[in-house]
Amino acid sequence: MAGILVYSENSKNAHELLTAATIIGSALGLEVRALSINNDTQAEDLAERCGEVYRIKEDSLKLSDTSAMASILDQVVRKLNISVVLLSSNRRGKELAGRVAQILDSGCLTDVYGIEVRDDGNIDCFRNGLGGLTVVSQVIDTEKKVIAIVPKIFEAMGNKITGVIRDVEVDVRSSGVNVVRTKTKVRDAVDIETSDIIVAVGQGLANKDDLPQVEKLAQLLEGEVACTKPVATDRQWLSEERIIGLSGKKCKPNLAILLGISGQVQFTVGIRDAKTIIAVNTDENANVKHISDYMLVADIKDIIPELIEKIS
Amino acid sequence: MEFNLTKEQQMIQSAARDYAEKAIAPLIEDIVEKNEVPLEIIEGLKELDLFALPISDEYGGAGAGYASYVLAEEQLSRICPGVAVIVSVNNVGAAAMSIFGTEEQKKKYLPMVTKGDGVFSFAFTEPGTGSDPKQITATADRDGDFYVLNGTKRFITNSSYEGPMIVFAKDTETGHINGYIIDKFCEGYSISEPWKKMGVRGAPLYDVYLRDVKIPQDNILGEPGQGFWILKVAMALGKIGICSIFLGAMLAAYEEGLAYATAKTHRGAPIAKFQAIQMAIADMFMKYEAARWMAYRIGYLADNARDKGDILKDSAAAKIFITETAIDVARIALNIHGSYGLMEDYKISRVWKDVIFGPQVEGVSHLLKVLVAGEIFRDLKG
Amino acid sequence: MNIIVAIKQVPDLDYIRIRDRRPIMEDVPQVIGDIDKSALAAAVDLKESAGGNVIIVSAGDENLEDTIKEGLAAGADEAVLVKDARLAGMESSVIGTVLAATISKIENGGLIIFGEGSADNYSGQVVSRVAQILGYPQVGYVNWIEIEERVAQATRSLENEEETVEIPLPAVMSVVSEIKEPKIPSVSSILKARNKPKRVYTLDDLGIEIPENRYVRTVINLAPVSQRKGILIKSVDELVKVFESEGIIRR
Repeated sequence: MAGILVYSENSKNAHELLTAATIIGSALGLEVRALSINNDTQAEDLAERCGEVYRIKEDSLKLSDTSAMASILDQVVRKLNISVVLLSSNRRGKELAGRVAQILDSGCLTDVYGIEVRDDGNIDCFRNGLGGLTVVSQVIDTEKKVIAIVPKIFEAMGNKITGVIRDVEVDVRSSGVNVVRTKTKVRDAVDIETSDIIVAVGQGLANKDDLPQVEKLAQLLEGEVACTKPVATDRQWLSEERIIGLSGKKCKPNLAILLGISGQVQFTVGIRDAKTIIAVNTDENANVKHISDYMLVADIKDIIPELIEKIS
Repeated sequence: MEFNLTKEQQMIQSAARDYAEKAIAPLIEDIVEKNEVPLEIIEGLKELDLFALPISDEYGGAGAGYASYVLAEEQLSRICPGVAVIVSVNNVGAAAMSIFGTEEQKKKYLPMVTKGDGVFSFAFTEPGTGSDPKQITATADRDGDFYVLNGTKRFITNSSYEGPMIVFAKDTETGHINGYIIDKFCEGYSISEPWKKMGVRGAPLYDVYLRDVKIPQDNILGEPGQGFWILKVAMALGKIGICSIFLGAMLAAYEEGLAYATAKTHRGAPIAKFQAIQMAIADMFMKYEAARWMAYRIGYLADNARDKGDILKDSAAAKIFITETAIDVARIALNIHGSYGLMEDYKISRVWKDVIFGPQVEGVSHLLKVLVAGEIFRDLKG
Repeated sequence: MNIIVAIKQVPDLDYIRIRDRRPIMEDVPQVIGDIDKSALAAAVDLKESAGGNVIIVSAGDENLEDTIKEGLAAGADEAVLVKDARLAGMESSVIGTVLAATISKIENGGLIIFGEGSADNYSGQVVSRVAQILGYPQVGYVNWIEIEERVAQATRSLENEEETVEIPLPAVMSVVSEIKEPKIPSVSSILKARNKPKRVYTLDDLGIEIPENRYVRTVINLAPVSQRKGILIKSVDELVKVFESEGIIRR
């Protein structure tokens, strides 16, 4: 029986992919199989969530060597008669996806945030088009398909079963990429994707000194502070974990308060699924008005202290 | 006929726009307050060849021509007319030297004002001349191999920066008006306190005093007796700058008016919903478009004129139209703002004080109309 | 050793209007995306240590030569282009094949740099496809590169860590925009762009045929429906009332 293969070096992402794989697998009659590379704990965790786990133990195989990794995926796909490969659309996953697809001479879609299996057996994949201006639905028409799914879209599969772990022999072909050093990113532990309330700031916040006020407002509302990309990367006022948008996080809070954000599509794609959006901006004509439920035309530095005072 | 910008022109326009928005806009309040453009802006413009764009690359310019110059100046002036004025006056001096100067003069002075530490000045006006060169009272006395200059020049831009200045003075021996090249801050050179000007801040005007300024006889620009011709060319080129500068100010006014009309609400709806405001928006657009193509065409004419003095009629006509129209557009934009437009918190109040300069500088409108009519009659006579 | 930068001509997203949820693509100017500009700026920085030229490769329709002037103005030395009307809107698998074939025409190409994703599609797979076709090692999402003889060091910026690797050349990399902020080009470099050497191929020159069947088919491409209320509020007091009615705070 043909199968669907799930792989991510990130266990949590792999558990989410299992959920997506089950949806596709049951609709198309494909057996779900998970792959784990050089990670016994992960293999065991996967076996509590997936009937068949394939394990590779090869010290010479490095995650950082995308060429070698893609070749391994190809070997596994052929051995196990896989027709759909599900990867995580994190950075490693996206890099791997294109290379695996090329070896398999297959179509590939990355940044997929929704799937729907149609009656004719096609898998509709939903992703952003034109930098987020549009939503596209695309179908891979090749026999084998490689799909990379955005993390945290699907619920992680719960640990309900006892699957089998099978070791699989592969031929490692290193491309000579070696890790010299790794450095953990100074990480902000914040998880804006799961926050119920988001207070996001953009470049309309002219002065860094006003940032504590924004943080105070978020605290009062029991929400998290988030931002547009330039606030984190150009000004470095907030950590990259707090970026919303095409190159940041996709959030769907109950409430999003957008302060001094003009609403370029690269940003709005990350927040447009919020239940309610309130914008405060000096420019009433700013794009943000098209995605807002409520808009207050005002300078945020005047509004925030007043708002804090009134809701304290 | 071709009305599209070339890819190169689009890129030059974007480069000027990006620089103005990234480097000049953040400093605008300071520039207006101090009536001074920080040197790093001039250095930045020189690095991008936006400071002396039409000057040949042989001397450190870009050799990009006047069509591109108009596009760049419009974008600089959209953010800060003062910066654009400094660029324009520098170009008038440098372009006059490119046309009339000797190889030695060009090698000595042009690299200084395209890439180096200098900024060109052009000193014609005097307290008593108005725009009539025949009234010049500054004198050049021949003293062996030297000239000795004396006189007072009024409203001179760029006179506080190091670099060359072309001074128009009367040769006391021959009675000719000539252009003489001096190094600013040489012995005998001094300037007044800056005039307290209401707009176009950042490009301060000074009176310049010349007391026995001694220069070698080679520092005459062009042949003796060519002064009027040089002036005619310089005036034509200066007007291209003025056209672009007030076009840029007009664009700023138009953008401000439009933004306010769509932002300001009355009883819950933007005022842009009212037909009176829609008339105003259409008027601004029409006027800007007319002025824009007139300015762009002047750039094109300058690029194709053998003698730049030949475009004096067209550039004078464009200068009158564009500067007067800039006031029209700013007035409309101000009206859209209502009483808010009078407040310095709103940019339109500053733009208003800028556009009001247009008809008064580089030849007032009435004088230029007489000039234009004179040229028309001359053409009629053939 | 030459550094090759793969550039994609993309529609300027700021000029795309939506009518009846459909994007209107007519008269939208074609530009080089911001991440590609960063990739180019990084390549120009590396030029000295690599001791070669910075060469742009790009594939696209008839506007390509004009668009690529932006890259030549930004410091690239030459461009090798594939210009073919059939390439407009072509899918990643074909573009990968075309770019790999083009890169093979360039002598002494030691490092091939891509932006991490294109400004319009942002799928990031072309870089990996090209690396696979050429059989080169790759490293993605790079924010720092150093070239030493026949190897390079590069830092891959992952979600939680930065991983610095040593990678033998020739190699393929994708870079993030943080690697280098693009500079505004000078007027002289803009004017010189048109005189820089350029080779232009067609698909026939490269012997590439576009497969009859697409690998990926687009079923829907529509702007999302906005069902926002769009209510203008005038004061902080009203804002507080909204908080109350939305159940965010209670009085």
